[in-house]
Amino acid sequence: MPLLVQHPAYFSKSRLKSDLVAHNVALPPAKSKKEVYVELYLKHIDQRSDFSSDEEDLVQDVTVENPVVAEEPDPRDLTDDDLKAKLLEHGVKAGPILASTRAVYEKKLRKLLQSDRHDRVNGAEKGVLYSDSEEEEESEQDEDAESGSEGKSQTVEQLEEQENSQNGDFTYPQCFLLSSRLHVPASRNREPDSKGNALKSSARSLSQNSWIPVGISRSSSVDRCSGVGSVSLQVPPGSQSVSSQAFSITQMVEEMESQRALSTSSNTEGEVNGSNVQEHWPQSDRLDMPVVDEYYTPKASPYNQTMKEPLKDTFKDLLPDNDITPTRIYATCRRPIKGAAGRPVQYAYPETPASPITLERREVERHLVPIHIQIVVFLIVACLLYLIYDYAEDNSLGPFVSL
Amino acid sequence: MSSTSQKHRDFVAEPMGEKSVMALAGIGEVLGKRLEDKGFDKAYVVLGQFLVLKKDEELFRDWLKDTCGANSKQQGDCCGCLKEWCDAFL
Repeated sequence: MPLLVQHPAYFSKSRLKSDLVAHNVALPPAKSKKEVYVELYLKHIDQRSDFSSDEEDLVQDVTVENPVVAEEPDPRDLTDDDLKAKLLEHGVKAGPILASTRAVYEKKLRKLLQSDRHDRVNGAEKGVLYSDSEEEEESEQDEDAESGSEGKSQTVEQLEEQENSQNGDFTYPQCFLLSSRLHVPASRNREPDSKGNALKSSARSLSQNSWIPVGISRSSSVDRCSGVGSVSLQVPPGSQSVSSQAFSITQMVEEMESQRALSTSSNTEGEVNGSNVQEHWPQSDRLDMPVVDEYYTPKASPYNQTMKEPLKDTFKDLLPDNDITPTRIYATCRRPIKGAAGRPVQYAYPETPASPITLERREVERHLVPIHIQIVVFLIVACLLYLIYDYAEDNSLGPFVSL
Repeated sequence: MSSTSQKHRDFVAEPMGEKSVMALAGIGEVLGKRLEDKGFDKAYVVLGQFLVLKKDEELFRDWLKDTCGANSKQQGDCCGCLKEWCDAFL
């Protein structure tokens, strides 16, 4: 173990500072004196290097780091040429090293050395993180297997579980997956208590967030139609189907959860999001309509029936010519945005430019006599004709008489 | 920098001659005084430093910060105006 040659009191303040930072020691206030730094240095760094031989497990990072610190020569001690060579090693083409430029290059070299060290440390941390997450995933899958084997609708669950694990083409739309993942812990944490509780909790979570289960139930209905359809496809909306439905959903959610290895810390966040979604639902339903109706499964699940009740008429208005497809998935083309879904037209579009013919007509019309003058003239002419006629009638005999 | 200052344009418009450091963009009275105390009394001395650092912006910024404690905007202004001057007159 190479020891540091110099006493820290000889180090510059900035050197002490950088060393302290490198050893994860909290720095004293910015304006404190050098003695404070030296003290800290002696306390933390020198001590550590003394003890490192005894308790290597505890201060492993220091033992890893210290050789680097020691083998890194102080840039101040290097000659100009050495400094230049060192910089070249790090891929920096240094200019002339003079009295005025030397400080800059020393600083640069120190920075480069430090960044090297940080890279090494970061790499190690990453490895630790990854191995952690893998273990968590496994344990969660075990949990899933255990929780899946309880309850009376066991066969259905297992069938569905197999389905889920076998069907590689099970893809969820990303927007649904994210939000549903967030909701997982709410139902998942309560599930192991007892079966009744599990049912209730899942039902509760469903009623809490009316929006998310639409996406999930769609996938579950697809699941049924493809595989276990004979079991529960035609089941009327009753308690039995509720139980299977609830379990399938929680199962599904758990499956996704185990795949994503979500940390349970997002529990509260998920619930918050859930309430948010619920609040937004009634306001934004119209806007969401074209998106949601892709996943709308009217008969597949009783939940959708109850949830969608107030929206039903709007749906019928929107999609009058939709027949019930065997998969219960509606594919509709996108509606035009302008005034879509019964929204009032907020922006009046300017009139389209008139065609040349209409422009011509207008030009002609402008030169014509206005209509009220025309009417007046017409009346005058009519009166005149009538007078003439009258006059002629009065004098009708006259001319003949005169003749 | 979206637009350059009047000082920048004035400096870049002509050879620097015997202008003082304070003619450099980003170097005001305070920084100029500090630089003068360290011997950098003329703009061409700072230019010399800039050139000796091989017009490397990062190194020059470091140097400027160490020498007179310029903040990053001042560093950028000074650097930009010297660079542009070099492009025009070197």
